[in-house]
Amino acid sequence: MIKSINKAGLDRLWERLAAAGPLYLPVKEGPAVLFRPWAEGAAAALDVTQATVSPKEIFFPRDETYLKFRREGEKLALAESGTPAGPAIAFGLRSCDLRAVELLDLVFRGQEPADALYGRRRENTMLVALACGQPDPSCFCGAFGINPADAPGADVMAWWDGDVLVMEARTARGEALFAAAGELLQESAAGSKPLAPATAEFGLPLEDLPERLKSRFYDPAWDRLYRGCLACGGCTYFCPTCHCFDVQDYGSQERGERFRCWDSCMFGRFTLMAGGHNPRPTQKERVRNRFLHKLQYFPENFGRFACVGCGRCLRSCPVNLDIVQAIRALGGETVEQR
Amino acid sequence: MNSVNPLVPQKVTLLEIAAETPEIKTLRVAGEGGAPFDFRPGQCAMLSLPPVGEALFSITSSPDCRDSLEFSIKEAGSVTRALHALSPGQELGLRGPYGNGFPVETLKGKDLLFIGGGIGLAPLRSLINYCLAHRAGYGHIDIVYGARSPADLIRRAEINKRWPAAPDTAVYLTVDAEFPEWSGHVGFVPSYVSELAFTPENRVAVTCGPPIMIKFVLKALEELKFTPDQVITTLEMRMKCGVGKCGRCNLGSKYVCKDGPVFTLAELKTLPAEY
Repeated sequence: MIKSINKAGLDRLWERLAAAGPLYLPVKEGPAVLFRPWAEGAAAALDVTQATVSPKEIFFPRDETYLKFRREGEKLALAESGTPAGPAIAFGLRSCDLRAVELLDLVFRGQEPADALYGRRRENTMLVALACGQPDPSCFCGAFGINPADAPGADVMAWWDGDVLVMEARTARGEALFAAAGELLQESAAGSKPLAPATAEFGLPLEDLPERLKSRFYDPAWDRLYRGCLACGGCTYFCPTCHCFDVQDYGSQERGERFRCWDSCMFGRFTLMAGGHNPRPTQKERVRNRFLHKLQYFPENFGRFACVGCGRCLRSCPVNLDIVQAIRALGGETVEQR
Repeated sequence: MNSVNPLVPQKVTLLEIAAETPEIKTLRVAGEGGAPFDFRPGQCAMLSLPPVGEALFSITSSPDCRDSLEFSIKEAGSVTRALHALSPGQELGLRGPYGNGFPVETLKGKDLLFIGGGIGLAPLRSLINYCLAHRAGYGHIDIVYGARSPADLIRRAEINKRWPAAPDTAVYLTVDAEFPEWSGHVGFVPSYVSELAFTPENRVAVTCGPPIMIKFVLKALEELKFTPDQVITTLEMRMKCGVGKCGRCNLGSKYVCKDGPVFTLAELKTLPAEY
């Protein structure tokens, strides 16, 4: 089913959709564009190629309390807590964002035990993808077989036809969005198609890369590659597929809460053990682990690269140490072969 | 609390806390119905004490003991320090069991050589007591155990009396240096293993201890012609989730919390040595 709406009518659409639950849209917040629940007066930044922080935070928030405790002498009371995740809509995800959700699903929902915190948000959130007409110079989603104009897994696929937003419902849930929008949407004449965007890829040597990387763990290229790393964690913060988290308690002896929050394998204390031993003692091991996780370990476990070519790590790294550099440094010939 | 969220602990009560050494205490905990879950020797569980936090420990009791779970814990950081300070009656959080555990089925019919150092006896003890409780299933049992000093040896009643008295079982104790009160063997665990010259025929070695001890034990076993699939060890890593998602404890594509903590040396040789 295909329907459409003129750009001028979008504010009324947002208002209608947000009545039933949070409607996450890319909105400007300071210098960034972030997925935030729509509130009256908010302007959706649907023209921006990509949100600064990936929409993974809709399903896997930066921090999330899940347990409250009270202690009274010997007694300990534990109670689950957290905001209930009711129906929500995520509107304006790009194809790369959708692929990233698919990859996070493998970690959080695809293996036992399933992650309940992620799962309930994911299950209750409708995904509306928006075709990407103009890839950023740092985008390379094409390298991973992603089509910017088509996002498998979306409940609704949307694209611009001039000033008209055309939407195709692809699931029953997507059709429910059309029903909720009611008369705000017009019947759309068949024939409109998302524009085929320019291909974005950097000619990366990805063929058989996980297999080839098996022999590159001790490659001297890592010694050069890691050196600039400042351990700022920006790459992991912006990466749509990074899923490492920390668990911490907060409170007094009497009461408090336990939360989880994003963590970064780039941080020196990430693997530091209480006794002082650190299995990844320098930035070299940490950088190597991050890239091999994306390019070898994740493919070994799930048969997919854990990179979607969104380019966020290219744009965020202060020293230009990104995954493209790593693929180029480690993906080609070995030093011996040269 | 039966939660669908695997990170939510259930409640247990500390029944007993006993000092093993100046740095190690054994905590015995139980839920209302006894041991809160079934497990395999070598599996781990996350103990939690809000607001200090959670940490993962191997379960040192045998699965045959169904009335409680025991953890032998060395004081090393904030959680272990807080756990050491507790008194019986205190309620705690617990979740698990986590990990693969020792391969009790494939070990059947084999002679077993346990090699432990310091607190490294804790995970081995679960398997030793399991094998002794199912004695007919396993061959001859040798236990080599050492610590820095006599005061650092744990589970004294078992290493001195119960295990040496068990059928077809031998215990070899050693400490790193001479002590006035010690009349037993003096020397490091790896060299004691070499000295005792165990033969590899139909035998599997199971070892746990400080990284430096494991390193030299593996070397000693190799010199005694043990093959990599005849050597089993159990690893320790920093963990937060226990279920393969928080990203801390991986060796290559394997997560120690979920795919380990028990690995054969043959398996470890295929993985990055980041442990």
